[in-house]
Amino acid sequence: MTVTPTGARPAYVGGSVKRREDPRLLRGRGRYVADIRPAGTVHMAIVRSPHAHARIVGVDASRALATPGVLAVLTWDDIADQAGPIPCIDLYPDSLPTLQTALADGVVRYVGQPVAALVATDEYLAEDALDGVEVTYQRLPAVVDLDEAVAGHTLLYPEHGTNVVTTIAQDVGGDAAVDAAFAAADHVYTETFTVHRYVPAPMETRGVVAEIDPVTERLTLITSTQFPHLVRGFLSGVLGLPESRIRVIAPDVGGGFGAKCEFYCEEILAPLFAMRLRRPVKWIEDRREHMVASSHAREQKHSVRVAVSADGTVTAVDARSWTSNGAACCTLATTPASISSAMLRGPYRIPVYRARAHCVTTNKTPLAVYRGAGHPQAVLVMERMMDIIAADLGRDRVELRLQNMITPAELPNDRGTAIVLAGQVVYDTGDYGAVLRRAAGMIGLTPDWAAEQQRERARGRYLGIGVASLVEETAIGPYESAVVRVDGAGKVTVLTGSSPHGQGHVTTFSQLVADELDIDLEDVTVLHGDTDVVAEGVGTFASRSAAIGGAAARSAAATVKEKALTLASHLLEIDPADLEWRDGAAVVRGASRSMSLAELAGAATAWNAPLPGGLDWNLEATHRHQAPGIAFSHATHAAKVAVDVTTGEIDVLDYVVVHDCGTVINPSIVEGQVHGGVVQGLGGTLFEEVPYAADGTPLARNLADYLLPTVSDVPVIRTDSAESPTPLNPYGMKGAGEGGATGAPGALVNALADALAPFGVHLTSDGPWTPDRVLALIPEEQA
Amino acid sequence: MSELLPVVLTVNGVPHTAAVPPRLLLADLLREHLGLTGTHLGCGHGTCGSCTVVLDGEPVRSCLMLAVQADGSSVTTVEGVAGDGPITPVQQAINDNHGMQCGFCTPGVVCSLTALLDADPAPSDEAITDTLDGHLCRCTGYQNIVKAARQAAGRPVPEVAP
Repeated sequence: MTVTPTGARPAYVGGSVKRREDPRLLRGRGRYVADIRPAGTVHMAIVRSPHAHARIVGVDASRALATPGVLAVLTWDDIADQAGPIPCIDLYPDSLPTLQTALADGVVRYVGQPVAALVATDEYLAEDALDGVEVTYQRLPAVVDLDEAVAGHTLLYPEHGTNVVTTIAQDVGGDAAVDAAFAAADHVYTETFTVHRYVPAPMETRGVVAEIDPVTERLTLITSTQFPHLVRGFLSGVLGLPESRIRVIAPDVGGGFGAKCEFYCEEILAPLFAMRLRRPVKWIEDRREHMVASSHAREQKHSVRVAVSADGTVTAVDARSWTSNGAACCTLATTPASISSAMLRGPYRIPVYRARAHCVTTNKTPLAVYRGAGHPQAVLVMERMMDIIAADLGRDRVELRLQNMITPAELPNDRGTAIVLAGQVVYDTGDYGAVLRRAAGMIGLTPDWAAEQQRERARGRYLGIGVASLVEETAIGPYESAVVRVDGAGKVTVLTGSSPHGQGHVTTFSQLVADELDIDLEDVTVLHGDTDVVAEGVGTFASRSAAIGGAAARSAAATVKEKALTLASHLLEIDPADLEWRDGAAVVRGASRSMSLAELAGAATAWNAPLPGGLDWNLEATHRHQAPGIAFSHATHAAKVAVDVTTGEIDVLDYVVVHDCGTVINPSIVEGQVHGGVVQGLGGTLFEEVPYAADGTPLARNLADYLLPTVSDVPVIRTDSAESPTPLNPYGMKGAGEGGATGAPGALVNALADALAPFGVHLTSDGPWTPDRVLALIPEEQA
Repeated sequence: MSELLPVVLTVNGVPHTAAVPPRLLLADLLREHLGLTGTHLGCGHGTCGSCTVVLDGEPVRSCLMLAVQADGSSVTTVEGVAGDGPITPVQQAINDNHGMQCGFCTPGVVCSLTALLDADPAPSDEAITDTLDGHLCRCTGYQNIVKAARQAAGRPVPEVAP
């Protein structure tokens, strides 16, 4: 393995190359879905359920159809025989099918569920006409609370007899070992944790434009998605069209974070209208819709029992969790529960483990993956437990963690658990303890800290430090595709199936390919996000693009280079062993003769002579990087907070992340991912929440209700990194996209608990810790 | 509803006359009628700041203003900040400091910082924070936007020590 090019040019990989995407976007020349309006475009609007649970008695669209500008209305009856349900790709074999259809099939199960759709000539008129679709509902009791849903007095799908649609089992050691470990334990800790409901909230909402080519009859769907190739496949299945008749384009995508890693009703409805009306149909989600119509995230409850020996060794964990999956299994429904249960033990040995993770339907918006998927919940639970145990045993919390941590000598380490779609959990590389020690030192968790904390408390200032160590699944498969092609002028085009939404793939993939071919970055063009340009692909999610897509691109470039050397050997009549690749050219060792990529490509396009050995002239290679296993990144987060016990306000004074994502392609892009992730985790711990009223009405319907962090809410985030390359791809990259969000809730809640320790608070929730909730923790007479 | 009202305004130095429905948003006039799609709508209720344009020197939310209210004014959108010339120091600073990721909120940030620096070429850190507080960014965590703003304001851009 090498990441250093053979020539004298400094490697691009490892350098903070400025993003090539930026200049166009900085001038306002992005092209997001909302910016695309083919000639003759008409506009779709969706009639959504105002009820959390109701039977649809009737839909009368006559008044809407009589509204000026309205062209068509669709109800379930109109599409029932044309559109199958939205597929869920992570169901377990014994999961109960609770799939959503593009329009409600007689029963609505969450506020915001599409009931009917209409199209008008203008988006203002379309919005006006929604009131003209009269839906008669018969309300049914709603269930929003996880415990009540599990109890099953109200069922979302009575035919199943239960709201628990999947139970995921993780068994390490078996029941007898669990019983033995708890029988032998010196201490047993039992806690219940709750994690609230989030929305990922990318700044660009979703949107689609669907169009039928009048000549070829092919459907083009332009959609703000993280995985256009998968959308093509889903649409093919749902509409019964061959994939060859569907083109999906993800143009510039304004963030996703998992919300656009789903296949949605509107991606079916707009094509259905386009087929009927023979006109381009456009829909742009407004923010109010987004809060109920795009996926929600995180909400779980965990009950854990932890067995600990007198010396502080954690010997077993017995865990149950319940995920509030909302009203249906969406595209990625069980993944959060699967990850939480498979990864709960984080970096700690804990040789005996049992988990049962229940996916539970509730009358809420379907829950899916959001940056970190099930990891942040698992980290909150495990890292709170480590602090609770350390406090009870009078142990230093860093030392207790180090005692239980897997060491580099114990890697690779088969954890005995599995993640749906991704496979067996086998930790690959890293030095978890070194990263923890570094973070603890950076945040100031020194022997002087306790004295400082006491001194400040005496002055009425409540400081706390929290740490959270994590190991996270990244770089999952199944595979990613890349094509590297040299044109006649020697310029290079890279096609990647990993379609980005802000990650900077154009920059990082250029770095990889330019290094491999030892050429200028500017000579590389990276194309993505159009299934007619890039024939196959998977997408951008699960911190997979740089590692899987990047490895595919660099491997394809390596193949092109090998082919170029072979062609040069033939053209120069030189033994291949006497050639080396340098500065974008095949160079004869010890001589001045060479052939550049441009010369080789020129010869290839001009020459018709047959080549020996069946070789062709085409300087192009396709590579599919098949992930042979999961690469695990790791990190420790450390937060220092000050809590004002008179106002309940939490001030995050300092925040440290020491992370390891293997070989780093572009440090500033990795750091940007860490910053953004941490601030999302911070937002969720301090402000963000989608509360539901008891009747199933969501109470956060815009960004004034759902508070995202602003610049004055966030601390300066200090980062340091280690690099433990993974052996799972030739270049050592792991994923970096989600760790920031994964660690922040655990670190911040631990810091808050540390700050409020004098009040005897016992925190088992990620809040959000808004001032009123913090104040409620503090006995009035002590505030 | 069908009544159209005249609007005369200058956008990025070019005079425009339009006849618009009274309820048309300024954002939609810019995006749909003038084709200036660099102005983005992130929330539609004035919270996120992505739709910020500079109107007679002041940053305004084009999702909270009707097109008819902009009658007689001079508007600069993100497309007009640099025009056809090289990108401005504000834009360059964002590129230099990795101050954007998906780019959706960026036009609003560029417009606000441009208005700030036009009014005061040497703003305080407080003024920078006040300005950026009006913008939601979900990607960057803001740290690198602050660095970019400081660079553009000619203030020291501190390296964050590990």
